[in-house]
Amino acid sequence: MQASRARLFKEYKEVQREKVADPDIQLVCDDSNIFKWTALIKGPSETPYEGGVFQLAFSVPEQYPLQPPQVRFLTKIFHPNVHFKTGEICLDILKNAWSPAWTLQSVCRAIIALMAHPEPDSPLNCDSGNLLRSGDVRGFQSMAKMYTRLAAMPKKG
Amino acid sequence: MVYDSIANALIPSPASNPKDLAKKKRVNRTAKLKQSKLDVRREQWLSQVKNKGSKEENRGADRPKTPARDMHGSNEGESRPMVKLVINPGGGEENDGMMNHYSDWESPSNSPTSHTSSLASNRSVTNFTGGSSSGSSSSSSGSGSCGCYSGSMTEEDDGDDGCLDDWEAIADALAADEIKSETDHNINPESQVNDHVPQLEPVETVKDEGMNCHVQVNRRAWRPDDAFRPQGLPNLLKQNSFPMNSERNHGSGAWGFKTAGFSPIPMTCPICCEDLDLTDSSFLPCPCGYRLCLFCYKRILEDNGRCPGCRKQYEQCEQGIVTSKMARSYSMIPSR
Repeated sequence: MQASRARLFKEYKEVQREKVADPDIQLVCDDSNIFKWTALIKGPSETPYEGGVFQLAFSVPEQYPLQPPQVRFLTKIFHPNVHFKTGEICLDILKNAWSPAWTLQSVCRAIIALMAHPEPDSPLNCDSGNLLRSGDVRGFQSMAKMYTRLAAMPKKG
Repeated sequence: MVYDSIANALIPSPASNPKDLAKKKRVNRTAKLKQSKLDVRREQWLSQVKNKGSKEENRGADRPKTPARDMHGSNEGESRPMVKLVINPGGGEENDGMMNHYSDWESPSNSPTSHTSSLASNRSVTNFTGGSSSGSSSSSSGSGSCGCYSGSMTEEDDGDDGCLDDWEAIADALAADEIKSETDHNINPESQVNDHVPQLEPVETVKDEGMNCHVQVNRRAWRPDDAFRPQGLPNLLKQNSFPMNSERNHGSGAWGFKTAGFSPIPMTCPICCEDLDLTDSSFLPCPCGYRLCLFCYKRILEDNGRCPGCRKQYEQCEQGIVTSKMARSYSMIPSR
C-alpha cells in the first residue's frame, strides 16, 4: 500500500510538472484521498467527440501499480466500448493487458485513443456497436455527436 | 543537498512493506546518506583546493579577482551550512574588493545585455565553476559544491602556499589552469577591469545558465574516465544516484538538462519509485532492458510474472533461482 502511495505521489508531481505539456488532459487528485483522481479529457479532433470535455473518475487500488486503476466516464458518452449508463470502459490495458509501467496520465492517453478508434467487436454499448458493425458510420457519428453536445459541452443560451 | 537526501531517504522509509526488506532498505539508506555527506565534504575540500590553483594562475596573469560565489543564496536555504565553511578572508589588501564581490551564480545580471557588473559576475562565475565542477559530478555540483567559495582563494593572496604541499592540490591546479586560461579569455576578455563592482545581494536566477554550463562541464580537472585520475578520489558519479538530483535538474532549466541526461539507468524504480541501489541498478531481469528494483520484481513474480516493459513472461529468459521461484509462484496464478 505504501508503495502505491509513493508511486501516486510521484505521478502527482509529474502531472504538476507536465501540466502545460498535454493540453488535452487535465488530471487532478482528490484533495483528501490520493487514491481518487479525476481527469478531464478533450474529445479528439475529427471525431464526433470533438469539442466535448469528458470527465473520468479514477479509483486506484492499493495494489497499484501492479493492479490497474478503475476508470469510468462520469460524462455520458455514446461509444461502443463505454457503458452508456455506468460509464464503464472496456479497454484491454485496464484489464488483462495492464502493465505497471503505465501511469494515470498514459491511461488517459489510451482512453483518448480509444475514443478516436472504437472497437465495435467488443461492445459495452450494443447500440453503438451495432451501428458501426452494420456499417452505418453516419448514424453512429450523428448519435455520438448529439450526445457530445448534450452532455460534454457547456450549455449555451 | 544533504538535507534533500535526508528528507528523501526518510520519507519513503516507512513505505517499504514486509519487514526484512524494509529493514534492509533502511540500512542501505543510512549508508547512502552517510556516503552522501562524505561526498559533499570531499567536494568542498576538492573545490577549495582547485580554487587555489586557479587563483594561482590568475595571479600570474596579474588580474585581481576573487569572486565569491553563493550559489543558492537566494533560493535555497540549504546552502547556508556550507557557506559557513567559507569564512576566513585570510586577509590582505586585495581582499576588500573581492570579498564584497558576491556574485550569484544565477544572478540575472549575468544576462549579456546588462552593464559592467554583469561582466564582473560572469567573470566570477567562470572562476568558480572551475572549482565546483571539478569537485563534483556535474549534475550534483549545483547543490553539492555550493560551499566552494572564496575562502581558500583569499588566503592564497597572502602568498600562503603551504597548501600546495598537497600533491593533489598541485595536480588539480595545473589541470584547472589549463582549461581556465582558455575559457577565461573566451568568455570575458574585459572582465578584469570591472572586477571590483560590489554585488552584495545575491539575486534571483534565470538567464545565461546555458552559457555557464558548458564552462562548468569543461572545468573538471579529472573526468571520471580520465586515466590520470587518482584512484583515491571519491567516485562522484555516485552522486547521480540520488533521485533528488534528477528532480532538481529538471527544475533548473538549461543547465540542469545538459548535465542530467547521460545516465541510461533510471535512478528510481519506475514501479515503486524507491531508489535503485547498486544491486538493483545492475539487475536486468528482461532482455527488453526494462529495469526495476528487486522488490517490485518479486512482487510481479508473485502476481503475473510479466515484464512491465514488454509484457513477456519473465521466466522465459531466466534460469536458476528465479525459475524455482517462478515454479512456486505459478501455482497462484489460475490462468497459467
